[in-house]
Amino acid sequence: MREFLLPKKGFRTIFVIGKGGVGKTTTSAAIATALARRGYRTLIVSLDPAHNLGDVFMVALSDKPKKLAENLYASELDMEKLIKAYLKHLENNLKNMYRYLTVINLEKYFEVLSFSPGIEEYATLEAIRNILLEGDEWDIIVFDTPPTGLTLRVLALPKISLIWADKLIEIRRKILERRRMIAKIQGEQKFVIEGQEFVLPKEEEEDPVMKELKKYREEIEFVDKVITDPNKTSVIAVMNPEMLPFYETERARESLKKFGIPFNLVVVNKVITLERDVPEIRVKLDAQRKVLEEITSKFGGIEILKIPMFPEEPRGLGWLEKLGGMVIEG
Amino acid sequence: MVKKIIEDVSAFLKGFGSAFKQQSTEYIEFEERELENVFALILMGAFVGIPSPPTTLVVRLMPHMVREMHVMQRRAVDLDDVFGEIAGMFDID
Repeated sequence: MREFLLPKKGFRTIFVIGKGGVGKTTTSAAIATALARRGYRTLIVSLDPAHNLGDVFMVALSDKPKKLAENLYASELDMEKLIKAYLKHLENNLKNMYRYLTVINLEKYFEVLSFSPGIEEYATLEAIRNILLEGDEWDIIVFDTPPTGLTLRVLALPKISLIWADKLIEIRRKILERRRMIAKIQGEQKFVIEGQEFVLPKEEEEDPVMKELKKYREEIEFVDKVITDPNKTSVIAVMNPEMLPFYETERARESLKKFGIPFNLVVVNKVITLERDVPEIRVKLDAQRKVLEEITSKFGGIEILKIPMFPEEPRGLGWLEKLGGMVIEG
Repeated sequence: MVKKIIEDVSAFLKGFGSAFKQQSTEYIEFEERELENVFALILMGAFVGIPSPPTTLVVRLMPHMVREMHVMQRRAVDLDDVFGEIAGMFDID
């Protein structure tokens, strides 16, 4: 059994990444099915806005985990609903400062917020965080991810957000430091706006901005800690034996390395093996051979698993378990 | 009579002292306002085209930012007289 797929310290998180159409969903469904069969309480979540996890299992899924078999639960995140919920949450938070909204027309800005770049990534990250927060309910959580580009950006977010939070905390500290200095000489400083008077917070514990910054930092750090811990997270890349998926996997490896996320296995899916020579697909076979050669030399230190192209589509729990068994048995 | 003189003198000294006090924190206050302005500007960066921090963070901080936004707005209004402010601070007339 491949150790990096089994729970070691609490629950195990497995991200299955890869270019569109290489078989991520099938592979992740197969891994989840095989792990569940071996007695691990497994949840598989599709983060892909274009869901097809339900199609692989041949059942309709929703954002609530649905029991498919003993120990096997599956859900599909409804991205649109998530983004709406996320914005609603933000909007409620914003309701407090409405005196100011009219001044800078934030209200209008808010309407377009749902179209603002990056909102999908933030919502996805928020969704991952919520699932990880309740991670102890499961032994293993398998994430079927959107195509590489979006996934990598989501996985990069915790690190980037931490940098932002740290910088802002630094500036905030300087502000509070100055406020304390002034208060020492001048006494408590008051700020009057539109007839309302309030005392300027000067201690870190009483400053709502600082408190919010620290809370945010903690939340993000939690996700970052989980996804960078080799005892908790593994990433599996799925690719086809073709040049473009190969390049993409290579780039993904670089990015994951930069963010410190453990990358453990490359699954080369749909490898064609023929007994006899078929001249019509000789070009494809040549390309395949070349890629397979290069993979071994390029991905040193990472396990590589070749899955042949099956004579029929791997659908249904039986097939998935067989396929998953190939992945989780070393 | 003597009492009156003492009162006057102490009032004078108090005023004198508070003027000094005021002056002593002038730089720090200026610095504080600048930092608050920068803080608000970074968070509101999207409005002026500089990359902004994670949307979540911005929107979560916003409700507590009344003072900083006010400072930022004042700063923008007084922008044509920045040199005047600095000159005043350094006693250049």
